[in-house]
Amino acid sequence: MTFCFTGIRSFPKLWRNNPYLGVVGPGHSYNFFFLKDCYGIRNQQKLFSLKTVSPQNTKAINLIAKARYRRKDEGSNKDSSEFPHLFAAGAAKKRSQMNPQSHDHALPPERNSIQLPTQPLNSEQWDKLKEDFKGRANFEDWIIARMITYNSSIDVAKSLLAWVAAKNNGIVSYNLLVKYLCLCVFHKQTSEVFDVYEILKARYKSLESSASTLLIRGLIHSDRWREALVLLEDIKKVITPSKKNYGDCIQGALLHQDVNTAWNLFQELLDHDLIPMMETLKAFFDFGKDIEDDQYSKKLLDILLYLRNNQLYPGESFAHSIKTWFESVPGEQWKGQFTTIQKNGQCLGCGKTIESIHLSPEEYEFLKRKILSDVIDGGDQYKKTTPQELKRFQNFVERCPPFDVVIDGLNVAKMFPKARESQVLLNVVSQLAKQNLRVLVLGRKHMTVQRARWRKDEMEKVQKQASCFFADNISEDDPFLLYATLHSGNHCKFITKDLLRDHKACLPDAKTQRLFFKWQQGHQLAIINRFPGSKITFQHIPSYDTVVQTTGDSWHIPYDEDLVERYSYEVPTKWLCLHRKT
Amino acid sequence: MPVFLKMSIGITFIRPFARVLVPFTLNKKRRVLYSTILNRYMSSKIPAESYPKKENTSPEQLELDGWKITMKSSVQQGVSTVSSAKDEDPVAATRELIEMWRLLGREVPEHISEEELKTIMECDSKSSKKKYLKYLYLREKMKKAKQIKKEMKAAAREKAIQDQLLETTNQDKQQDFLFLRLWDRNMDIAMGWKGAQAMQFGQPLVFDMAYDDYMKPKELQYTVSQLLESEGWNRRDVDPFHIHFCNLKPDSPFRRELIKRYGEKWNKLLLTATEKSHVDLFPKDSIIYLTADSPNVMSTFKHDKIYIVGSFVDKNMQPGASLAKAKRLNLATECFPLDKYLQWDTGTKNLTIDQVTRILLCLKNTGSWEEALKFVPKRKHTGYLEVSQHPQELVNRIKKTINSFPKGSLNKYTRKK
Repeated sequence: MTFCFTGIRSFPKLWRNNPYLGVVGPGHSYNFFFLKDCYGIRNQQKLFSLKTVSPQNTKAINLIAKARYRRKDEGSNKDSSEFPHLFAAGAAKKRSQMNPQSHDHALPPERNSIQLPTQPLNSEQWDKLKEDFKGRANFEDWIIARMITYNSSIDVAKSLLAWVAAKNNGIVSYNLLVKYLCLCVFHKQTSEVFDVYEILKARYKSLESSASTLLIRGLIHSDRWREALVLLEDIKKVITPSKKNYGDCIQGALLHQDVNTAWNLFQELLDHDLIPMMETLKAFFDFGKDIEDDQYSKKLLDILLYLRNNQLYPGESFAHSIKTWFESVPGEQWKGQFTTIQKNGQCLGCGKTIESIHLSPEEYEFLKRKILSDVIDGGDQYKKTTPQELKRFQNFVERCPPFDVVIDGLNVAKMFPKARESQVLLNVVSQLAKQNLRVLVLGRKHMTVQRARWRKDEMEKVQKQASCFFADNISEDDPFLLYATLHSGNHCKFITKDLLRDHKACLPDAKTQRLFFKWQQGHQLAIINRFPGSKITFQHIPSYDTVVQTTGDSWHIPYDEDLVERYSYEVPTKWLCLHRKT
Repeated sequence: MPVFLKMSIGITFIRPFARVLVPFTLNKKRRVLYSTILNRYMSSKIPAESYPKKENTSPEQLELDGWKITMKSSVQQGVSTVSSAKDEDPVAATRELIEMWRLLGREVPEHISEEELKTIMECDSKSSKKKYLKYLYLREKMKKAKQIKKEMKAAAREKAIQDQLLETTNQDKQQDFLFLRLWDRNMDIAMGWKGAQAMQFGQPLVFDMAYDDYMKPKELQYTVSQLLESEGWNRRDVDPFHIHFCNLKPDSPFRRELIKRYGEKWNKLLLTATEKSHVDLFPKDSIIYLTADSPNVMSTFKHDKIYIVGSFVDKNMQPGASLAKAKRLNLATECFPLDKYLQWDTGTKNLTIDQVTRILLCLKNTGSWEEALKFVPKRKHTGYLEVSQHPQELVNRIKKTINSFPKGSLNKYTRKK
């Protein structure tokens, strides 16, 4: 197993040095590929986002990902592997895999079964191929699109263009030229890129964004990289360049040692409110290895703070770059290692405690105010509740001493579809009450009405052991849950399995949403029982915050693993620990 | 300028040939014509020999780089005029960008007006620009298709008239008729009479126009279209509602749009448009606010109630806006029993205003839900459910009896089945 893992690390690197390895003709089988260096596949896709994934590839990746899951599960302790934490990276993916309804989608059958040529054809052969083609699309457009999909060699594409030109008195349409350019850029044929650039410049007085993007990407590796900056200026005249455009230009500038241009472009990118690509940031770190400049290293630390403030996480290879850069800083003797964090918030690598998940008092007050004004009120109190009810609720909360646990009654009661709702609720409440916790149950009025699934006697027992607040049947109870918990103070937790994404979405800006998410991670208890009778167990609450952080002489940086699919409301589980040798 | 001169010389030089070669391109844009002819001229000049030659010498290989020479050389003269006027305003740049996108096969319009261009420049994000361009593209396409259809129809009509002329000359007979052909006008007058009666004795149907703050201009336009449609359906009905447009503020975009669409007819419409609220016009306890968010399901159509329909197209995901309105005024709410009668498939339960009007009209006349819910779009459901034959009580009783069977006997029963 160890061999296997080291293998994974080394393959992506091998890949980067030798991009031509990936070119496999459409007729070849992927089996060989899969066996030999399957771990490289994913990386290749990241590098060349232009390439669409062939079906065989995705399947292979799924297999790998699954295999990796299994291996990991066997290694770690049983409990946590069965229920990955609600917000841990990959948990949502796993939940969906447990769902029996999900199945692989069958691929639509291929309509046009024309074999892509692997060698340049002459005009008769192209003519014949065109006759064979039965589709509604334009043959030339269709075939070159297929060539891009399967990365045909550019000679084949060139012969197609020559054929088109011969038929058309030397004219090749813009569309074909751009697609040809796409192939040239993918194969890094710089001289071809120059040629196409000359043609485009001669023929058209301005270019549109996709051609410029391709040209920028093609030019940055050459000596004419400054022309890429001109192209960027041209794009800016009409639309905001994409983060890829900026990323490419920055990489071009770094490749040619023009650090100032790179930082200026980076600042411009941030000013446009674009979120830079991880590759761009990685490029800065990779470049930083070779220069000893305080100014430069300060800016790199600023990038890390940017990651912290925007709750972004580097990818695996980026994490490696960060580690390498820190270790290359002369005189400071940094040492980095990839670790995980223990449940109590201690780093396994250095033993330091990670930042607490709890909000600062100011943040807490701010969030409380925002929840009341944006989630509950939201400009129209009648939307989620009524003013009378809100008043009643606020009075109720004021009168009660702070709670320890707030329960979303309906969510908890409906946990087991086969058990009676009121009984499940009673079960949970009495177990919590036994621990001498002050419990608040939030629900709706219909719960108190005697019915088959809501027994009155059981509800009365619930009301004896806990304080209850019942909202109107057409009011929403989740906002009350949030407010009651926030009002009770930092120690108070709430119980629901709901991910509360719709309420998070009500918040006005990304910063408040991140605050909410942080608070939610620290205060939400999710019940992970599978059977109604058993003693309830909760998902453990992480005591630490998953965010890039520093103490001056140490850095802790969470990162995304390449083969784990993380959803937006999940956080990574792997960390890079950096500290100075003393 | 000098290049233009040169070009024109070139054109006069090959004009006779061009006439023969490209008789159809002549109608197209002038610039396109110039370049094609020029290219023809150039290509005949430079690589004309190379193509056949290469193919003769090596039959299995096409000359790979030959096209580049043509592409580069053919236009080096053609475009130098343009590059001189390069640093222009962003408006022209945008226009060019759109033109290039069109060449790339993106969904952008061929022709674009100054005003539309300005709208594009004002769009604050790239995706909104693309969306607007796609809208223009589709509109242009539709317009073109309509134009072609119109021309074809005109041609057909022309032909029909000619045929008829031939026929009438053949047989010129006198025919006896009872009525003059004035059907449309008669129908309008009859509907006017019915409408006037509805104004006096009809059941009120209120459209609540207090949603203009919730909607963007486009949604507002959709709403007005739907209102026009509803009014049309109501007018044609046997027993029309007395329509009220309530909360219609004198200066609101709603009113402006309605007047724009109705034109002079607005003042002659047989309906009540008022800036008062529906709660001022009618007793509160007889009002029922129709909203899909309501927890109460409508069981029957009541002829003594006043139904209110919110004139609100919600593309912006604001659930519960109309329910909040009803809650604020403390009104009764109801929703259509869609789930009870239909096997719902996809789409929201929010129906368009004209569909709601037609359902209400149908209920008023027949009282049958099956009949009325025909107006729910077919794509939203897979069919009618068998209900109402077995009332809920009966179902419960059956359930109880099944539960009371001893376990073994039930198994036997199922096995037999």
